[in-house]
Amino acid sequence: TPQQHPTVPTGQLFTPGLAADQQFAMQQQPQAQYYAPQQEPQYINAPGFGQEPVYNPPSAPVNALADQFGQMGVGGQKPYQLLTTNLLTSPPDPRELSRPPPEMRLPPNSCITNSPFANADPSYQRSTLNAIPTTSSLLSKSKLPLGLVITPYRSLNEGEQPVPVVTDTVIARCRRCRTYINPYVQFIDGGNRWRCCMCNMSNEVPQLFDWDQARNQPGDRWSREELNHSVVEFVAPTEYMVRPPQPPVYVILIDVSHIAVQSGMVATATRTILENLDRIPNEDERTKIAIIAYDVALYFFSMPPGNTESTMLVVSDTDDVFLPKPTDLLVNLVEARASLEALLGRINDMFQDNHTVGSALGPALQAGFKLMAPIGGKIMVLSASLPNIGAGALKNREDPKILGTSKESGLLQAASPFYKTFAIECSRAQVSVDMFLFSAAYQDVASLACLPHYTSGQTYFYPAFNAARSEDAIKFAHEFGEVLAMPIMLEGVIRVRASKGLRMASFHGNFFVRSTDLLAMPAVPQDQSYAIEVQIEDTITAPFVVFQTAVLHTTCYGERRIRVITHALPTTSSLSELFASADQVAMATLLANKAVERSLTHKLEDSRDAVFQKMVDILGSYKSSMTAAGAGASAQLAISDNLKMLPVLVLGLLKNVGIRQSAQIPPDLRAYAQALLSSLPSQSLIPYIHPTFYSLHNMAPEAGTVSENGVVLPIPLPLTSERLERHGLFLIEDGQTIFLWIGRDAVPQLVQDTTLPVLDNPFSQRVNTIVQKIREMRRGVYYPHLYVVKEDGEPPLRLWALSCLIQDRADVLPSYQQFITQLKDKRES
Amino acid sequence: MLNFEDVEERDGVRLSWNVWPSSRIDATRTVVPISALYTPLKQREDLPPRPIRTRHLQTAVQIDIRGKLWICPFCLSRNAFPPHYKDISNTNLPAELLPKYTTIEYTLSRPAQVPPIFLFVVDTCLDEEDLKALRDALVVSLSLIPPYALVGLITFGTMTQVHELGYAECSKSYVFRGGKEYAPKQIQDMLGLSATTRAAPRPGQPMPQQTFGAARFLLPVQQCEFQLTGILEALARDPWPVANDKRALRCTGVALSVAVGLLETTFPNTGARIMLFAGGPATEGPGMVVSNELKEPIRSHHDIERDSVKHFKRAAKFYEGLAKRASNNGHAVDLFAGCLDQVGLLEMKSLPNSTNGVIVLSDSFATSIFKQSFLRIFNKDDQDFLQMGFNATLDVQTTKELKVSGLIGHAISAGKKSACVGETEIGIGQTSAWKMNSITPRTSAAVYFEVVTPAGQALQPGSRGLIQFVTHYQHSSGQQRLRVTTIARNFAEAGSPNIASSFDQEAAAVLMARIAVFKAEIDDSPDVLRWLDRMLIRLCQKFADYRKEDPASFRLTDNFSIYPQFMFHLRRSQFLQVFNNSPDETAFYRHILNEEDVNNSLIMIQPTLMSYTFDVPPQPVLLDSVSIKPDVILLLDTFFHILIFHGETVAQWRKAGYQEQEGYENFKELLETPVADAQDLLVDRFPIPRYIVCDQGGSQARFLLSKLNPSTTHMSATMYGSAQGAGAGQAIFTDDVSLQVFMEHLKRLAVGAQTN
Ligand SMILES: [Zn+2]
Ligand SMILES: [Zn+2]
Repeated sequence: TPQQHPTVPTGQLFTPGLAADQQFAMQQQPQAQYYAPQQEPQYINAPGFGQEPVYNPPSAPVNALADQFGQMGVGGQKPYQLLTTNLLTSPPDPRELSRPPPEMRLPPNSCITNSPFANADPSYQRSTLNAIPTTSSLLSKSKLPLGLVITPYRSLNEGEQPVPVVTDTVIARCRRCRTYINPYVQFIDGGNRWRCCMCNMSNEVPQLFDWDQARNQPGDRWSREELNHSVVEFVAPTEYMVRPPQPPVYVILIDVSHIAVQSGMVATATRTILENLDRIPNEDERTKIAIIAYDVALYFFSMPPGNTESTMLVVSDTDDVFLPKPTDLLVNLVEARASLEALLGRINDMFQDNHTVGSALGPALQAGFKLMAPIGGKIMVLSASLPNIGAGALKNREDPKILGTSKESGLLQAASPFYKTFAIECSRAQVSVDMFLFSAAYQDVASLACLPHYTSGQTYFYPAFNAARSEDAIKFAHEFGEVLAMPIMLEGVIRVRASKGLRMASFHGNFFVRSTDLLAMPAVPQDQSYAIEVQIEDTITAPFVVFQTAVLHTTCYGERRIRVITHALPTTSSLSELFASADQVAMATLLANKAVERSLTHKLEDSRDAVFQKMVDILGSYKSSMTAAGAGASAQLAISDNLKMLPVLVLGLLKNVGIRQSAQIPPDLRAYAQALLSSLPSQSLIPYIHPTFYSLHNMAPEAGTVSENGVVLPIPLPLTSERLERHGLFLIEDGQTIFLWIGRDAVPQLVQDTTLPVLDNPFSQRVNTIVQKIREMRRGVYYPHLYVVKEDGEPPLRLWALSCLIQDRADVLPSYQQFITQLKDKRES
Repeated sequence: MLNFEDVEERDGVRLSWNVWPSSRIDATRTVVPISALYTPLKQREDLPPRPIRTRHLQTAVQIDIRGKLWICPFCLSRNAFPPHYKDISNTNLPAELLPKYTTIEYTLSRPAQVPPIFLFVVDTCLDEEDLKALRDALVVSLSLIPPYALVGLITFGTMTQVHELGYAECSKSYVFRGGKEYAPKQIQDMLGLSATTRAAPRPGQPMPQQTFGAARFLLPVQQCEFQLTGILEALARDPWPVANDKRALRCTGVALSVAVGLLETTFPNTGARIMLFAGGPATEGPGMVVSNELKEPIRSHHDIERDSVKHFKRAAKFYEGLAKRASNNGHAVDLFAGCLDQVGLLEMKSLPNSTNGVIVLSDSFATSIFKQSFLRIFNKDDQDFLQMGFNATLDVQTTKELKVSGLIGHAISAGKKSACVGETEIGIGQTSAWKMNSITPRTSAAVYFEVVTPAGQALQPGSRGLIQFVTHYQHSSGQQRLRVTTIARNFAEAGSPNIASSFDQEAAAVLMARIAVFKAEIDDSPDVLRWLDRMLIRLCQKFADYRKEDPASFRLTDNFSIYPQFMFHLRRSQFLQVFNNSPDETAFYRHILNEEDVNNSLIMIQPTLMSYTFDVPPQPVLLDSVSIKPDVILLLDTFFHILIFHGETVAQWRKAGYQEQEGYENFKELLETPVADAQDLLVDRFPIPRYIVCDQGGSQARFLLSKLNPSTTHMSATMYGSAQGAGAGQAIFTDDVSLQVFMEHLKRLAVGAQTN
């Protein structure tokens, strides 16, 4: 019944986080009694992870920037230094995850400017290897995966500099390979021509390249943004437009069936839209909106201009969906404001007594599509039950008997071809779909999530939503509001170009691949990540290579733009350098994407085996090539220091609901977890597979207070229940959920202080500050649900929280120690 | 001899024969079948409503006062008087046993469960002016419909919308695609009238009535008048764009099928009217009459004759299907057309024809023809009840010598195969009961009989036959009523002059006209004309006085004398000569003929012509071209048209303005008198006739000329000599034969002379 707590699998949903800005810096203070004093590795010489070095305000570590300057060129290319760690004796330290990736040590003079912003910031684009092997045989020998993780439209935190914009529409591109001019090209012929960094083509410099159009006078070429910034945005001239920029369009499909209304979803959703009307992007007042309610029928609302009342048009013919009116259904947000407000205030009342059960979601989608297809835009679906009427009708295929078997992966694939074919239709018409799902019963998230997947949307899941629980209502209202307010980029296409010898081999994320390497995105959302596997096709002779990601799109205020991310990496023929330059965070992100894909094309088991085997192979390669043991036996489990968190991340991935071995995980939860695994940027993905664990009752005095660098968080603990104390208070979070764990012997005062709302005492306020910080620190719309878990309380909730402690053994799933042993055993075999 | 009109006044019955041949063979020889034009709800002021129905007890029963028994003459059963007749005696007879009350109306104790229902089906593909006029008329009608009656609204254009009148939150309607044929079950589901997708209410929580069921769409006027008026006033033109070379998409068929589906689901077998207001032809979906391409013209009679019509058969079949469903459920369908062109009445005619709905054709909804006709439907009686009965069944019983052949009128068979059903079939046969879903005081049904005697033997002299008409209907007050008319007539032996003298030539003409039109609906018109001619000749052969082969000796008695003239005009009428009218008009004219009583039908068959001139009182004149004179005003009443025709001189004087001048008051009066008379004619007429004022020589005068007997044609001099005197009237450009020529031929054929 809807009164219950969300169905919690006997395991859990997982997650953990890390990575607040400045967090690393705070952690450097000697505060922890949990770790023996640790020496900082010498190779730490870059700004902290997540600090977005290039765009940080001047207060950011100036020295670090200066250092980076140093490596970029002037002083000559430094070699990578390989440090080896024995995993058997070196337990995971979550602080490691906060470290920046290994540097990109480019050869001198690779870059034509001295700008500190000339190479890609990992928050926009990062590579699994920061030195690119010159041959594919070297890469395969290393067993390391090569890929890019791209978040082209990550949101900006407060104080961050926006991406610089080139407004003069002078866009210099290589005639042959269409690469955009960037800091890694070379000017030749007295500056009249430039040589492409990808294909070596000599190109003419455009006539107006050195002309300051704003002042109408000669300009300074060297001050052009595209020669100084890795991430830059061009205002595109009309040649880049297939049609004039279209207005943002939002078609919101609201499930108004009995269960949707009774759960409070309808009331919460309509109130949220109402409250966010002013936040919906509408700078130039062209934004259009339509509301379509549906149960087994479709309810359109006609809002003619000048009216303050709307008219409801019911279309029950779901076999053959049509629009009941040619006009006034999709209305201008400004012109129809009065009737829209009146309508939103009333929809819940209109359907308050609705006893209809069933969902014509497919027909509603078709209707929404018809309404907007000439323009494109976003369909936002709010759905509280399994679609069972008309196109895209689905059957309840949740069968407990096949969970945990080889047939389970079938449940993760779309049950009806509708969701893929319709998605492709949407993609062609520049329509993107977001799914907000609320059902307490099986809803077939796997099928539904196909639509966001192929249309560059996102799936949001609120299992057994009940607005009577204020946490449910707040979470959904917050996230839905953020999505409504999100500045969307319309009619997007992404293409990644790379230097000769490199090829984009496979693509992961929410988009539709058009013509082999063009990623079509009807609406590019903020803070979504894409992973691309890269192949080395030919031997690379250049000392460095360049990847360039270009996103052509229309802004929500009607400007055609191209965002270009240029990413230069040194090449190497040394295996040691490969290992030393490996980025374990990017690697875990790529592995997560590949694992999800493999679970769909193969079996869940195959997917887990592949991940495990990849880890084994890397360890094997490292041992044979980088340690004295070579091919012989070794008592150690060696890995380069910069990869020492990879095994625990892999373990976290294997224990993630998305692919975990279990016969207990409802397919809807699995499918949702997979949607997250294949779209979260690293910043959110890492805590999602490796949650963050804090002890609160004995945290350092600064923790939970605000310093000049923001809120100070406690030091993260390793994810093992050995750290739990019976009298303690702990916090575990994975970016999606926060657990406040209260030990069974916690003093009553502590318990009382923890129980929200915030009490007027310092400890309660500190705890609350930490919770707030966790909810805000990562980019993206997610607002983690907070559960208070009593050690002696409800078993399901307790188990769920404990499942985040991935270093513990759970049922058939190994503890970290067991896992390491398995890896070693496997490596030897 | 009986005065036919008195009988009609009393019982609403006119019989072709008032004395009946006593054997089958004799009956066949009398050519015109024994038949009755019966007007069930004929208004009769002194008709005492009776509280309870007593089975068959009525005039002409054999009663045993002492034994308190009566014998039913139809089935010969013996019955005890009901208890409340215990005080019956020869001096205290109940009304139904008094000879004067051969017609009695009973009120049944069980009232109708549902008040009358009016479901408007409104076209929105109209221009603004037309739409406004229609909206206004509909709003006015709400004040005329009884407050307890249920009303509903469906609008249509490119799509069909069913308006949920009971919805308080906002204006709400259910939309159906215009191009699709919906099965009844689909309509029911789509309107949420079935319970399949509804969650069970929580225990103790009643299902809110307003959220489902018919109450959402059909509400008492008093409850929804405000909301419905609001919806009507806000009713806008169909919003879908129409290209210049296109007709508006108009899904009349879907709208009607939704209307029929809504009513058959929610209110089966109870009184209801679906009132369709169509501003043009159906151009979309099932029932489409013409495509929306303007280059495709709407079908004509010639197209139909050539069998080159694209949509006709399919559309007609579609509407027939709807008509069958509506009529089976007691629902009537009215068609109001407001369009200069045709709206597809031909295709849709089965709806009003089988349910006795009304048809009103007007050029636009802004015309008074439409407005007045529409509002006239809601006329009230002196007790303030609508003059309209619902969901009626007419049951005819006969004594055993008579069998029922069939009925011609706006009805469908009720499928009652009683013992009085005969073998011969005329009209809707094989039954002795018919459903007539709407019934008004004008509704007149033609019922045909045959004589059946055992082994073909003649009956005993002095035998009587009885016919009882039993009309069960829902009165607009909600009462169920039973109108019973019982008539008795004598049988006469073969050759008895009583038979001939009992001939009601007016009734016979109308009854034969209905057969002819019924045949014409099925057969080619030349066949029908030949049949009519044959019947006329045979009648004359049988009943005229003549010497064989001597046309000059041919004489008809008074009560046969004008029958041939009726037949002459019937042959020329728009009922059988269709090519001067559109198919829609033909359907309309025929519909009206099948509705009206003897007098009105005769006006349609043979229009009346009054002549007005100086110093002489207005007088009826021959419907003949000789009646056209320069110094007269003619008033023509064809029932469908009322026309005032100013002769040349009158017109000149009028144009010169003499009527305004002193000393010419008599001219002024001459101009005014026919106008006043025309107004009198309009009072009771339904639909309102087209009113035309024209001058001799003007283009509108063709309406008059087409009705006149062409005694003077442009051919007269050459073919028939100039016997009538050229210049006595106006020559009419026609190839039609004149009445005089027709009569000559008839005489020759009747007497068996050689035709030349
Ligand atoms: Zn190039
Ligand atoms: Zn009887």
